[in-house]
Amino acid sequence: MKVTRQDSEAETVLRIEGSLDALSTVDLRPVMDQLFTDKRRQVTLDLSALRLIDSSGVGAIVSLYKRLRQDGGTLKLQGLRDQPMAIFKLLRLDRVFSL
Amino acid sequence: MARLDLVVCLSVDLIKLAIPSSLKYRDLVLRVVAAAAKLVGQKPGRPSRVDREFDDQVISAVGEAFNNAVLHSYRGRVAGDIEIEIETAAESIAVRLIDSGDAFDWTEVPEPNLDDLPESGLGVFIMRSFMDQVTYRAGDRNVLSMRKNYVQPTVTESASRPS
Repeated sequence: MKVTRQDSEAETVLRIEGSLDALSTVDLRPVMDQLFTDKRRQVTLDLSALRLIDSSGVGAIVSLYKRLRQDGGTLKLQGLRDQPMAIFKLLRLDRVFSL
Repeated sequence: MARLDLVVCLSVDLIKLAIPSSLKYRDLVLRVVAAAAKLVGQKPGRPSRVDREFDDQVISAVGEAFNNAVLHSYRGRVAGDIEIEIETAAESIAVRLIDSGDAFDWTEVPEPNLDDLPESGLGVFIMRSFMDQVTYRAGDRNVLSMRKNYVQPTVTESASRPS
C-alpha cells in the first residue's frame, strides 16, 4: 500500500494505491490522524489505484468518515472499482458515499 | 437396443499450500487463489474469461478467512502453519483453511447491522455473502471450508441479438 497526500486550499486528497488490508491499514492510521492535527476537514480519497481491500481497510475508511462528520467535515471517495467496489456495495456503503 | 453413454466429467484438481501464520503472506495466498479462481468457468480452447466478479468474491472471502486464521488461531502461542487446500472444478471452487491453533467459533459472531456503519466484525459477513457454502469444524485441526459455484454471466438480449 502506498498513500500520497496532496493539499489544496479547498481540500486534501489522499491517494491510496495497492492493497488496503489487515497488514497495511496500520500504516494508514497515522496518515489519517495527521489530517485532524492539521485541521483538514474536507477530504477526498482517490481510490482509482486501489487494487484490493478487506474489512480492516473498510473499517479505517468508515472510521475516518465518522470522525470527519463529527468535526463538521466531509469525506468523498472517487475512482472506486473492481474488488473494492464489490465490497463497498455489499456493505451498502453506496448509501453513504457517492460511488 | 439403444445404448445411452453417459459421460460425467468429475475432474477436480487439488492445490495445497502450507503458509506460516503471518499477515505478510496474505498477498501471496490471494495471488494463488486468484489464479485458481480464474481456472473455473473457463472453456477449453477459448481465451481466458474476462468477467471478474466470481474471482473478486472468492478473493474477498478467502482474504477474510486468512485474516481470521492468523489473528485468532495462534494468538498468544507459537505460530504454526495454515494449510490451504484449493479444489478447482469446471464450475466451482472449494477452499479449505486448516490450522492447529485455538478454535474460532465464528458462528457466535453476530450479523452486523450495516445501518450502524460498523468498523469491525464484517469479515464473517463478507465470507457468508460471497460464498455459496461456509462451514467450520473445530478440532485438533480446525477446518474452515468454503465453496462457490460459477455461474456464467447472462448475456443481455440486446448484446445477443444479431445486428
